[in-house]
Amino acid sequence: MFKTLIEAFALISTWEVIIAMLAASVYGLVIGSLPGLSATMATALLVPVTFYLSPIAAIATIVAASSMAIFSGDIPGALLRIPGTPASAAYADEAYAMTRKGEAELALGAGVWFSAVGGIAGTLSLMILAPPLAEIALSFSTFEYFWLAFLGLMCATLVARSSPVKAIAGMFIGLLVSCVGIENPGGVPRFTFGLTDLFGGIEPIPALVGVFAVAQVMRAMLTPEPPPIPKRKFGSIMAGQWRLTKLYHWQMTRGNIIGIIIGVLPGAGADMAAWVSYAMSKKFSKTPEKFGTGHVEGLVEAGASNNASIASGWVPSLLFGIPGDTIAAIAIGVLYMKGLNPGPTLFTEKASSMYAIYLMFIIANILMIPLGIVMIRLAAYVLRAPRASVMPVIMLCCAVGSFAIGNNMFGVVTVATFGVIGYVMEANGYPVAAMVLGIVMGTMVEQAFVTSLIKSDGSILPFFERPVSAVLAASTIAAFAWPAFVWIKRKFSPLPGGERSKPERSAGFG
Amino acid sequence: MRLPDRVTGLFLVGLGAAAAYGGWLLPPVPGQPVGPNVFPLVIGTGLALCGLAIAFGIGHTFEEEEEIIPLEGGHAVEPTGKLYGLRALLPPALLLFYVAAADRLGFIITAALIVYATATALGARLKLSLPLAALAPIGIHLIFSKLLRVPLPAGLLPMPW
Repeated sequence: MFKTLIEAFALISTWEVIIAMLAASVYGLVIGSLPGLSATMATALLVPVTFYLSPIAAIATIVAASSMAIFSGDIPGALLRIPGTPASAAYADEAYAMTRKGEAELALGAGVWFSAVGGIAGTLSLMILAPPLAEIALSFSTFEYFWLAFLGLMCATLVARSSPVKAIAGMFIGLLVSCVGIENPGGVPRFTFGLTDLFGGIEPIPALVGVFAVAQVMRAMLTPEPPPIPKRKFGSIMAGQWRLTKLYHWQMTRGNIIGIIIGVLPGAGADMAAWVSYAMSKKFSKTPEKFGTGHVEGLVEAGASNNASIASGWVPSLLFGIPGDTIAAIAIGVLYMKGLNPGPTLFTEKASSMYAIYLMFIIANILMIPLGIVMIRLAAYVLRAPRASVMPVIMLCCAVGSFAIGNNMFGVVTVATFGVIGYVMEANGYPVAAMVLGIVMGTMVEQAFVTSLIKSDGSILPFFERPVSAVLAASTIAAFAWPAFVWIKRKFSPLPGGERSKPERSAGFG
Repeated sequence: MRLPDRVTGLFLVGLGAAAAYGGWLLPPVPGQPVGPNVFPLVIGTGLALCGLAIAFGIGHTFEEEEEIIPLEGGHAVEPTGKLYGLRALLPPALLLFYVAAADRLGFIITAALIVYATATALGARLKLSLPLAALAPIGIHLIFSKLLRVPLPAGLLPMPW
């Protein structure tokens, strides 16, 4: 183990990795702090660049950029009441109320400090959870993989903040997208409509860039520009954070744990973690009436939660290739490209690379404190950049980046198409994260499904015969039946429309 | 672009049915009961069922209106004409323009046009949009073509590096 650790240190202490990490950190901080540009988008636009880096440096950029972006989304949330990323939306109101009370330093300092703590807690969970799970996963057959992937897809639809039926529909659309191409059990062109460009299938990365970046530029076309940030001088940012840590250590731990759990669940990411933790904090607080008036408690818990979910989202990604959130979905694409194919054997064969990932997460989260403080002080200048100067550059990055993925103009067409699809879906309440998950996991689900069917000679029974697969199957069916159950209960409940189960579900959204 | 659930639901029914039918037509793997046809068949059926449920408003009660944090004061209300919504289509249209024109015009010129159009549509004055259109393509070209060696089309205006 010590040998692997030293190897891992050697892997990350090259100039390429250090520079890549620093540059990606600054990039993540800037993108995350600009309202409307999410952490997922920052990561997606980074992918073309990672092509030209070594595997470890490529992962370093993703780790650093995503962690930083989640934190720096807090900055405009606190100063302008506009969350920089969806992950900060849960507590933007609270942070802004603190700024109004003259406690901007405390709010932003709590953002930096508890984000860093949360990130490190998430990394520890990754280190502790992943290897034993890999042991178990080694004995999995295609039946277990099928149920696991299916369960992952179902989880993504359950946690979506919209109608579960629409989320399931979104997931099916994603799976349908993954059907395109000749990479199927028969090796025949499927849904290619005679276009040779479609023979290779639809690449997940341009689709992701379209859904998260182009669709965002499209929305910007119809929404008013956010107001410029007022100039202000900041006092000491880290002052009082240690006191908060001691005062709210239980809230912090709870936030970390919730973040880790939500991160591990496929499809649910940092934004969900923040919403749930903020609501939890309010529910269990001794002074719930202070929430919303500029009370730091919820900030501590939610800030610790959303960053914890980033690292733990890598657990299912590295083990099974099932993304824990949309950022991890992109990371999986990069892992495949770099020859680090996700799977339980990764932890035995490429153990040093895994340790390198853990180390990079820890370093990124420590680095977040000094860089975050600098970013907060510079925020007044960065946030003055008008949207009209940022969005055109994003457009160029979309065009060039999607071209660079295959040196092929078809990538640009894919980006444009998925921009429209993402925009229309979002506008009509279809969660795009579910579709993204479907696209990323489609090939794997189909392979596991068809191989299992061939093995079982077309019979359904063997899908339930092995003990682990039976448990997974039961959970999947429960996940499938749950929305139907709630719907029926609500429909036939004697209490007035939906009041009975509504608070339970909407509790997470404060 | 907010469409009634009935419209999107019925669209999904059509899409699912088409996918299932398309899957049905595919040849199976010789000697095997299943092949490339099974998965689209299952998904298409599922999608069509979801579409039906959406069209009939099942599960609608779960939806939560997104909390829009209002912007603070001093904002002119944007004109909302009939064609206003079509502005959203500008970004994908510009990307398709890039596909059509980049090989002939070259990266720099095409990119400059895209930047200018996007910036103007977002309300930038000439003072901002012109320098941005001149500088941003050169910067991106420098990063992607020089540093990352992406073969960007030179076209009419090749860069000296």
